[in-house]
Amino acid sequence: MTLNSLNVVLFGVILLLAVGFYGLLITRNLIKIVLVLQVLVKAVVIALVLAGKQSGNLGLGQSIAATVIVADTVVAVVALALAVQVRRHTGTLDLSKISTLRG
Amino acid sequence: MNPTLFPWMIAVPLGVSPLVYLAGRLGSHKMELNGRSIFVRGLALLALLVTWALFVLSWMEFTARNEKLLFNLESIWLNADGLSFLLAAMVLGLGTFVVLFSGPYIAGEVGEEKYYAMLLAIVGIMIGLGCANDLFNLWMWFEAMAVSSYLLVAFYRERSASLEAGMKYLVQSATGSVLVLLGIALVLGNAGTLDMDKIRAMVSSESAAPFGLLLAGALFVIGFGVKVAFVPLHTWLPDAHSQAPSGISAMLSGVVIEAGLVAMLRALSTLGGFSISWGTLLLAFGALNMFFGNLMALRQTQVKRMLAYSSLSHIGYILIGLGIALFNGNPAGAQGAAFHLFNHMVMKGLAFLAAGAFLFALLDKSGIHRPLEVKDLAGGARKYPLAALALSIALLALGGLPPLAGFMSKWQIFVAGFQGSNAWLMGLVIFAALNSVLSLAYYAPLVNMLYRRNMGEVVERGAPIPLAMNIPLVVFALAIVVIGLWPSLMNWLTEPAAQAFLVMFGK
Repeated sequence: MTLNSLNVVLFGVILLLAVGFYGLLITRNLIKIVLVLQVLVKAVVIALVLAGKQSGNLGLGQSIAATVIVADTVVAVVALALAVQVRRHTGTLDLSKISTLRG
Repeated sequence: MNPTLFPWMIAVPLGVSPLVYLAGRLGSHKMELNGRSIFVRGLALLALLVTWALFVLSWMEFTARNEKLLFNLESIWLNADGLSFLLAAMVLGLGTFVVLFSGPYIAGEVGEEKYYAMLLAIVGIMIGLGCANDLFNLWMWFEAMAVSSYLLVAFYRERSASLEAGMKYLVQSATGSVLVLLGIALVLGNAGTLDMDKIRAMVSSESAAPFGLLLAGALFVIGFGVKVAFVPLHTWLPDAHSQAPSGISAMLSGVVIEAGLVAMLRALSTLGGFSISWGTLLLAFGALNMFFGNLMALRQTQVKRMLAYSSLSHIGYILIGLGIALFNGNPAGAQGAAFHLFNHMVMKGLAFLAAGAFLFALLDKSGIHRPLEVKDLAGGARKYPLAALALSIALLALGGLPPLAGFMSKWQIFVAGFQGSNAWLMGLVIFAALNSVLSLAYYAPLVNMLYRRNMGEVVERGAPIPLAMNIPLVVFALAIVVIGLWPSLMNWLTEPAAQAFLVMFGK
């Protein structure tokens, strides 16, 4: 595999995904979890543009990427709103402390 | 092409949803609040009735043309085939009665208007999801459905358990949708298009699916699998189903996970066409879901949590029906699966609504906010004969007792499994039948608790169940008995759905 610019971007995507999934595994703080989810989505946004470029359909890839950013912002807003409520009612943002539902 | 009506089925609920919210914000005095609540509910019901009328009209158009209906807005195509109509009928049927049921249940809660607004929105979104014919469009509907269901699950925002369930659901589901999106990127990179028909044509022209597309398929299975609650990815489900308001539990279990399944099938069907390996995968997950769901349900002491685990096992039966159809190309399996999809909506919808009615009358009404335990129901049949009968019918139908609806659809799936005379399939069908017996081990004690125990303290001080809650229970219970006695009544809906399924996978 030659080191052209597309491969560098692909490498970046994989790296971001790795960071995101690792973060998802170790994070217990709700706000940080939202951040980690954002990292994951941003990796995918880059992947979408890359896929558009690779298949010679850059316009489609870019428009999808823009839409994903919007859709994902909605998810982030809902997640943060939930986090605020959790903090208000339990006084903590630590997932392992609020976890009561089991089995 | 003549203009077609079916996009209005999506547009009406989605368009009325903000109006419901705005209507709910009017008025602030106690008197006004009471009238407002009725107004909000009435508006939501009216929108759903209009959607029903549109459904009937588009259905007539669909049968008259005898091919899928197409609609395009610039470059976005929507098409309605048998599977879309099955999903639309399920969503509308359950949605209408949940709105009716939630009247007394949600009355007086903070954010009542948001509840109905989101409920209407999710109805429109799920009908739209069934009609998507482009992978990215599918993802958008899927994500919209997810976002509205997060809000509904965490509706009781002052209860920490409900917040926890909502948060768990959000994190797992959002991760799943990232994976789906990654799969979409892979498909785009490999196929250069996201239109499902074009991808299908491209893949079937090649001898073997490219590696990138197989990887995309795996990502779709995992990503959508979170929403469908495939077994290792199911952990959000029991929490979300048990902590959400009961009407929403019914929606989640009756249609949302099924909508996820439809989305997954649509996405998978584009890759690799009619392939036995997808069939095998579905069968494997089906067996796992059935068995694990049953085992976990056996351990539960809370009614709604038990019902949630039983959803896992019923998804298993549906997967087995679909797997059989893919494995031996037999439409009977797909039709059985479509029938079970519909029946599961009716049965599990009724079970959650009836459990919700008990939860409301026994605990919520007295201001106690804790989950409904099985032992709380002791002697419930003496005081609440109607709700107890409805819950028992739902549970026995879920357990697959003839002549109720659940038996008929399971039977259809099992018969389809034996038709191919493949030893593995037969073994699997026997395993599924044994699982069905196993499931009675947790349904039957509940019925026993309702009918054969002396009235417990909780039941004695319980409040009456309002009429608006009893109507959906009666309608759904009747539906279970009628479908069970005359299963061919549902053929008009399940046959086109099965055909659409096989056409999708290129058979």
